[in-house]
Amino acid sequence: MGANAQTSVPLFTAGEVLTAVNQNLSAGTGVPVFATTVTRDAAFGGAGEKVLAEGQLAYIEASNVVQYYDGAAWATVGPSTAGGLTLVSATTIGSAVSSVTVSSAFSSTFDNYRITLNGGVASGNITISLKLGSTATGYFSFGVFGFANSATVNGLNSNNSSSWGACWTGETTNLSGFCDLYSPNLAKTTGISSWRPAHAVGTAQYVFTGFENSTTQHTAFTVSADSGTMTGGTIRVYGYQNS
Amino acid sequence: MAIYKIQIDNEVRDATAAEAAAIDAQRAEVAAQAEAVEAKAAARQAVFDKLGLTNDEANALFG
Repeated sequence: MGANAQTSVPLFTAGEVLTAVNQNLSAGTGVPVFATTVTRDAAFGGAGEKVLAEGQLAYIEASNVVQYYDGAAWATVGPSTAGGLTLVSATTIGSAVSSVTVSSAFSSTFDNYRITLNGGVASGNITISLKLGSTATGYFSFGVFGFANSATVNGLNSNNSSSWGACWTGETTNLSGFCDLYSPNLAKTTGISSWRPAHAVGTAQYVFTGFENSTTQHTAFTVSADSGTMTGGTIRVYGYQNS
Repeated sequence: MAIYKIQIDNEVRDATAAEAAAIDAQRAEVAAQAEAVEAKAAARQAVFDKLGLTNDEANALFG
């Protein structure tokens, strides 16, 4: 149960003393917060509690939804269900940095994650790699790349490398791309699918899949410029809802 | 040894000697991989040249 969760909705009677506890409870919970729908239902109608009536709002921690009471039943205001993707972190890239580490990205809350990089600029046309935690070996992948002015398909692989290279694009006008990571915080090998768009004819477009061959339960990752530097832009981490 | 700026979450600082060495090593590895890809593409092109195929003809035949 969170700090805002309450177990009753008090009802004041004439002449009753308003205590600091009463006031703090009122001020801290504009919409009453309940751990579950069970504790929500138990909070109304009892001795010293408000009678449940149409228009009552509630937030439910277990399902991360806001609800209203329509006079007969509770209905969800939104989201109707918890979102498919939940923003875990957003990190703004500093000026002329070679790498950015996001230290609290993965946890047991989600099995799978999406990492996006957009905005900002690179010091030249570069590739940007990804490393999990402090793991510096065991990165495998296979993919293809090519250029917008040619139908030629080129293969690219990494066979026990120190990172996944070319996860994202760095150009003098953009940083961009996304990758999905599978089970980075589970005691399993971590999978990856990476999409790396380019914004110029002469910059390679990449797609690859792969894995990191350890069962380390990662919490952090590092984005590194394979040459030059990155400035600005945002690294966002999203968790895929498990249900 | 090159001086690198690195960022940990929202803090930017100069890389330590060990961190800079790790960056150098990773960059060298990526450069080597890129060179290998370029060498493979050059070898492929050399074969097409020997066969007298244009790039379009080669793509039509081999993808």
